[in-house]
Amino acid sequence: MAMIHLTIVTPEGKFFDDDAQRVMVRTTGGDVAILPHHIDYAAALTELGQARVTEVDGRVRQGEVQGGLLHVSNDNVQVITNHFRWMDA
Amino acid sequence: MAGASMKDIKLRIRSVESTMQITKAMQLVASSKLRGARARMEASKPYMKIARTAVWDMALHNTGAQSDYVIPREISQRCYIVIAGDRGLAGSYNANMFKRIEWDSRDANCCVIPIGRKAIEYYSRGRMPIITSVEKVEGLSLEACGDIAKRVLESYDNGEYDEIVLAYSSFVSVLLQKTKLKPLLPLDARDAPERTGRQMLCEPGADALLKTFLPQYLAGLIYSAACDSFASEQAARRVAMDSATKNAGDMIEDLSLRYNRARQSSITQELTEIVAGAEH
Repeated sequence: MAMIHLTIVTPEGKFFDDDAQRVMVRTTGGDVAILPHHIDYAAALTELGQARVTEVDGRVRQGEVQGGLLHVSNDNVQVITNHFRWMDA
Repeated sequence: MAGASMKDIKLRIRSVESTMQITKAMQLVASSKLRGARARMEASKPYMKIARTAVWDMALHNTGAQSDYVIPREISQRCYIVIAGDRGLAGSYNANMFKRIEWDSRDANCCVIPIGRKAIEYYSRGRMPIITSVEKVEGLSLEACGDIAKRVLESYDNGEYDEIVLAYSSFVSVLLQKTKLKPLLPLDARDAPERTGRQMLCEPGADALLKTFLPQYLAGLIYSAACDSFASEQAARRVAMDSATKNAGDMIEDLSLRYNRARQSSITQELTEIVAGAEH
């Protein structure tokens, strides 16, 4: 099955760097879900939003995202943000 | 005579010993701080790499039409963001930075945003006008970096500055730190990754997106430069204090030798006097 490679990164460190099935984030234009084979894409993230990551094994994790950028390039999905926090941690 | 000199030497040994205790303690503090600083520096690196690629994707988006932030201007006013040390006693760490900037700033009107107490002290003597300043490099928050980033970006948009340069120290190893001058705005074309030629969808448009993301990107750059500089400062201090401790050790050895010689000669003299008295 095709996967995306998701990286969630802040200046304080990496929070996720692995394959995933899907990621959903809130951009300034509304919620966006990225699946494999997405077109190259960039969007601004809202000041405060959630990220929902569906991992390889189907588990869904949620995190808090503070602003930044969603950047998709050749199935590499990057959430570049100021602050990130897993809500289940 | 011999007694007085013995006392003098003893006093000097004691003072060197207490200096040595201080330098030793400073060395230990620096090496423990260095450990944390290096971890933070390493943690900030992936962000810089990824964010840089994203920014360039946006800046060079739309074939042919480049963002305003990429095009160099004719420089008449330059702004330096200088990250130096919080404290002295770190070898030539602070001096190197200031010298480098003095050399670099000859060709334009310059102003400065000093970060770190030593930088503030240096520039408040009227060398360059200070725009704003931050007292501490240690534990510099992302928010504080964001404030600086917003401020310089605004001034850059107004045309107050034609170039913004970040001056920091890059940690290569414990023994080697390099002062670096990195142009923040216009974006440094040397950083640009190779163009893939792929089309990208931007929401909202590439320019608008760059405008919203750029303050965060610059804040990230300043933050990671501060982490880098702080690690460099601790490394420089550790090395400086290590050699100071060694020097103090050498000095004590030398003084002890002189002390013992003085003691021996005073004993010899006393003996000679006693023997001379008995013979009479």
